[in-house]
Amino acid sequence: MDHSVSRNWRDPELLLKALPSVLLQTTCFIAPLLMTFLLTFQRTRDFQLRWTWDLATWTDVFTKPHYWTILGHTLVMAAACVAISMVIAFPIAYGLSTRFKRWENEIKILITFAFITDATLKTFGWVLFLDKKGAANFLLAGLGLPPESVAFLFTDWATLLGMVYNLLPFAIFTLYLSIDNIDRNLILAAYDAGAGKWRAHWEVTLPLCKPGIWAGSVLIFLLGVGVFLEPKVLGGGTSPMSAELIRQTFETRVNWPLGAALTLVLMTVSVFLVLLFTRLLNMKRAGASA
Amino acid sequence: MQNMNTAPILQIEDIHKDYGTYQALKGVSLSVRQGEFIALVGPSGCGKTTLLKQIAGFEDATSGRISIDGRDMAGVPAAQRPTSIVFQKLALFPHMTVAENIGFPLKLRKVVPAEIAARVNEMIALMELKPIYLDRLPRALSGGEQQRVALARSMISSPKLLLLDEPLSALDVKLKKVLQSELKRLHRSVGVTFVHVTHDLEEAMMLADRICVMRAGHILQLGEPADIYYRPADAFVAGFIGETNLLPVEITRRGKDRVEYRGTGIADETGAIPVRFIADQVGTGQALMNVRPELIRRIGPGDKAECSMNAQVTEIFTKGGTVQYRAHTPEGYDLAIEIQGTSDLPMRVGEDVRLGWAKKDIWVLPAGAA
Repeated sequence: MDHSVSRNWRDPELLLKALPSVLLQTTCFIAPLLMTFLLTFQRTRDFQLRWTWDLATWTDVFTKPHYWTILGHTLVMAAACVAISMVIAFPIAYGLSTRFKRWENEIKILITFAFITDATLKTFGWVLFLDKKGAANFLLAGLGLPPESVAFLFTDWATLLGMVYNLLPFAIFTLYLSIDNIDRNLILAAYDAGAGKWRAHWEVTLPLCKPGIWAGSVLIFLLGVGVFLEPKVLGGGTSPMSAELIRQTFETRVNWPLGAALTLVLMTVSVFLVLLFTRLLNMKRAGASA
Repeated sequence: MQNMNTAPILQIEDIHKDYGTYQALKGVSLSVRQGEFIALVGPSGCGKTTLLKQIAGFEDATSGRISIDGRDMAGVPAAQRPTSIVFQKLALFPHMTVAENIGFPLKLRKVVPAEIAARVNEMIALMELKPIYLDRLPRALSGGEQQRVALARSMISSPKLLLLDEPLSALDVKLKKVLQSELKRLHRSVGVTFVHVTHDLEEAMMLADRICVMRAGHILQLGEPADIYYRPADAFVAGFIGETNLLPVEITRRGKDRVEYRGTGIADETGAIPVRFIADQVGTGQALMNVRPELIRRIGPGDKAECSMNAQVTEIFTKGGTVQYRAHTPEGYDLAIEIQGTSDLPMRVGEDVRLGWAKKDIWVLPAGAA
């Protein structure tokens, strides 16, 4: 008896079984993407969409460096957000699954609460905190520091702070899951073999939570590429990122074809980068075990 | 058993270990000779694994002292102890190849790669592993092969003590037997001291030079396998080792070389047992007579036995080479009898029989709680 799944595309039974999934994917994912793609070949005039079928939008996209500067800036910000989040999240996740195991649930609930609180609210909260006359400066002045020590509101640093703050739970939870999955005996085995704490960490814990680090990084990178709230509120709109540019193009400039084209560029570049890094990582792994 | 005259390789003195209010070890002392194979045996929760963790250095004892090779281990972390442990679930590093796993302890000791490779090859030869496995990940290997890799990883750094935390308990019976004899062979060939934790007494009997039976944080008995089996310290040890018959007797007088007793339903012409078949702790009063099932036989009409009892056969279990019987005595005891091969006097269910045993097969132990 052969229980393996048939991979023959002409197998009618298989096609029938795949139908619900195919329909769902088509209507919810492929069709909107296709619409977006088709939109890029049209033009808007007098706030009206004209079905013209030409390459004017794409010519615009590929000739104006402005769009690409913003895209580059977005990717750098997202990458920085990934790096900072991982560095902050790792000790938190590690502590959660080891030293603070006893209060694990309480801490998780607190993080979840912070996480499900509306992002707009939290972001504006940071504005109040970081403002020239905000809480941070008030507290630091109280400690005897010169007035307005905290003066990075409405810069990229404030944007980054907001991004890291809002996306950190994704990093904490993905890392927590992979660290928590590591058999405690493996760490003991490393000690037993003669490894100190840091060595055991480097040789055993870190390699074993690579999948978690990678999953968290991809998640944060893709979410980070799509942020528009933080650059607008905390960055003061002085150095826009792709998502904000796209929103403006659709809403303010009512240039749907251009908005659609910019969306596709952002998506393609992000996905391409993720795939590229995944491939590089896998190659390294295959090289290591060969 | 080599080097019997040297100082103990492992000296444990009055170790206590509390987890909050729970006392896992309540004053354990043990001395292990260089090259010995010792088994720590007991039911789960008896403290055997806790004791192993103290030796390995994963936990600090609440009080007491452990020295290895004459050196006090207090404050010495696991990484710096001359011990190596094989875990119950092996704990092979899943992200390292077999060669990397085995060589890991040497890599940590900054041994040059060429020497690590040479030592790894020595170890796989010793463990009879195929060299083609070296570049595979542990999960690609079978359970038995993984065991060998774990043993090789533990042996490569030439530890003074090899600690085994029930590494064979997850294997099927057939593979277990193979690896048991492997362990025995390994122990003989390397001369390292083995401390083996197991709940399987049969395994301990097979492998160990000495067995340490533990219960509820105490050592109940420490001795050679035959001692434990034929001269158990109390009813618990007697019952833990396998099915046995414990018949209540009353010691009426304790003499210099013989003890007088009365047993309900036990026919004995002399009514006395030589003291060498009696545990030291037994005084006058209630005691238990331990008779192993395989030492009881059926007595024919003309035959005589030093001790005998009437009983009715209630059940028969044929187990390949041996046949097990259950017999009920008029006094209300259920006796277990095991007969090797075919008996001259076979018994049938329902039959009234006379069962007998020799004085030399008796062991009288204190009537404590079992």
